[in-house]
Amino acid sequence: MHDNESGPARDDVIKGTDDDATVSRLSAVDLGYLDDPYVKHFVKRASRRPPIINRGTFLRTHALDTLVENFIQQSSDCKLKRQIVSLGAGSDTRYFKFKRKGLAVDKYFEIDFAESTTKKAMTIKKHKDLMDVLQGQQVRLGMGGTELYADDYCLLAADLREFELEVLPKLKAQGFDTSLPTLFLSECVLIYLQPQDSDAIVEWISKTMRAALFVLYEQIQPSDAFGAMMVRNLKARQIEIPGIYAYPSLESQEQRFLSRGWKAAKAVDMNSLQTEYLSPAEMERLSRLEIFDEVEEWQMLAAHYCVAWAHRVQQSSGTAQDANDAALLSSIDNMFAAVVQEK
Amino acid sequence: MTMSDIDRQIQSLLDCKIISEAEVKELCLKAREILVEESNVQRVDAPVTVCGDIHGQFWDLKKLFEVGGECPKTNYLFMGDFVDRGNHSVETFLLLLALKVRYPDRITLIRGNHESRQITKVYGFYDECFQKYGSANVWRYCCEIFDYLSLSAIIDDRIFCVHGGLSPSINTIDQIRTIDRMQEVPHNGAMCDLLWSDPDPDIYTGWGLSPRGAGFLFGEGVTKPFLHTNGLEMIARAHQLVMEGYKLMFDDTVVTVWSAPNYCYRCGNVAAILEFDSTLNRKFTIFRESDRNSLNTKSPQREGPPDYFL
Repeated sequence: MHDNESGPARDDVIKGTDDDATVSRLSAVDLGYLDDPYVKHFVKRASRRPPIINRGTFLRTHALDTLVENFIQQSSDCKLKRQIVSLGAGSDTRYFKFKRKGLAVDKYFEIDFAESTTKKAMTIKKHKDLMDVLQGQQVRLGMGGTELYADDYCLLAADLREFELEVLPKLKAQGFDTSLPTLFLSECVLIYLQPQDSDAIVEWISKTMRAALFVLYEQIQPSDAFGAMMVRNLKARQIEIPGIYAYPSLESQEQRFLSRGWKAAKAVDMNSLQTEYLSPAEMERLSRLEIFDEVEEWQMLAAHYCVAWAHRVQQSSGTAQDANDAALLSSIDNMFAAVVQEK
Repeated sequence: MTMSDIDRQIQSLLDCKIISEAEVKELCLKAREILVEESNVQRVDAPVTVCGDIHGQFWDLKKLFEVGGECPKTNYLFMGDFVDRGNHSVETFLLLLALKVRYPDRITLIRGNHESRQITKVYGFYDECFQKYGSANVWRYCCEIFDYLSLSAIIDDRIFCVHGGLSPSINTIDQIRTIDRMQEVPHNGAMCDLLWSDPDPDIYTGWGLSPRGAGFLFGEGVTKPFLHTNGLEMIARAHQLVMEGYKLMFDDTVVTVWSAPNYCYRCGNVAAILEFDSTLNRKFTIFRESDRNSLNTKSPQREGPPDYFL
């Protein structure tokens, strides 16, 4: 992946997946599934997606939004400084959506290929309602317009495959603090990396961060009839998802964290997410938005996507002067458990 | 329209080539004359080959004819959902309609829940008509024909065939005969339920709420009395994707037949057709998707690959 000739071409295809997801998000917004006044700025040509895609787009966004919102609320209730790192953020508008509602963290970092961040930085600069969210902050472009820095928001251009060499120095230069409780987000991102590259990220976080929460969303189950066809169809569009073979199931998604020192991990597919985590009132609202005649297909599609989360805090050294520290870590640990609603 | 006209149109459609808007209009007029004479419960004689959802998967319909034999050599009953989802709803529906006009006694078409104005606007047929003809006229002609399609069929007085399933408003076949079917599929009531309901092994008696937002879930406890009351042996229906192509339920009193292989070019399933011989012995034939599907998605004017979450 690093050096073969198809590398750059394949990277372009992966960047294109962001456009696809963003068009889907706008479709879900236009039909009333989601509330996001900003996503329209990131779409060149809107198109209405089928109900099954709208529902799935709603669910993934809703699930991750809920976790992000819980993280912001809970850490704020505990009066903790905290940060969010969105890996391969693409055209994600979460920072703006939450900030508009008064929900912010001390620093929100977004990382993606320079091509994506350049476009995003230009789009932000161009639209008043996006710039309004950053009001009162000093906003400047850097690295030839590929990056954007504000007081609590940083858009950074880097290749996730070079996490320690490229990503970390950039994060640290913008004030990234490994001692703060940090939420890492990966929405259909790690799966495009070779497992050794995504493992390196998960491992680095668990080794280095004092307190981290990881939330990811991606495909699973490549081997049944539907999954095999999914892999084949994506391949026909030149989209490779090598991560799906390394982490093909809910159990293996949990193990990818647990085996690397994370304290707790849970993965649920989109069917369980819908039945166990979505309120009946919300379900009722969805069913009124569009006719939904894709029941069997939906259940299959939903079984091939999961949301996984994991968290860990470092052990304090246990000496007397660390008593305060231990109390802090323990409260962060409780806070994480509250964010993911562990029973 | 002469016989050679219709034969020429069938030839063109068999090559997946559309016919002109004027030809569609005339074909629909002709089809209407035939369909208006059909009952809500159309009588069909065995031997007959029963087929489930096609959903615009034209090349797979051709495969179905390869596997099941050509019409009129084989007598066919299609249980609805000809259009939507697939890339060739126009060619698929017009071909079936042209065959109906040419061989009215050798092919029976009954209505599925997708043969509706409202559903086709969401699930692709409307857009496809617009894209292929530059206006909504062909969609409009076809929707008028949808209103004329029969709601069900009975093979040799013993096998009841319907797209979806049973309705709490229907106890007897005669009640179906009294429905005024010449209308858009309503959101509730007997006609809606016939096209939308599903059998559910988890309920025995009574009726369950359908996750589709229309029709009901029905169990063995209402199926068997319905069959008994009406002197029937079995219900054949479509409507639900079955990965194995068909599924028998409730002691073989209900069969689901699904005839769209690799549904939406995405699901990886096989398809089935169900042949009843002259003494109503059952024979299922399984088939896989046509090779033409994958060729198509690689052509420069590809119709768009199936959607995933990326």
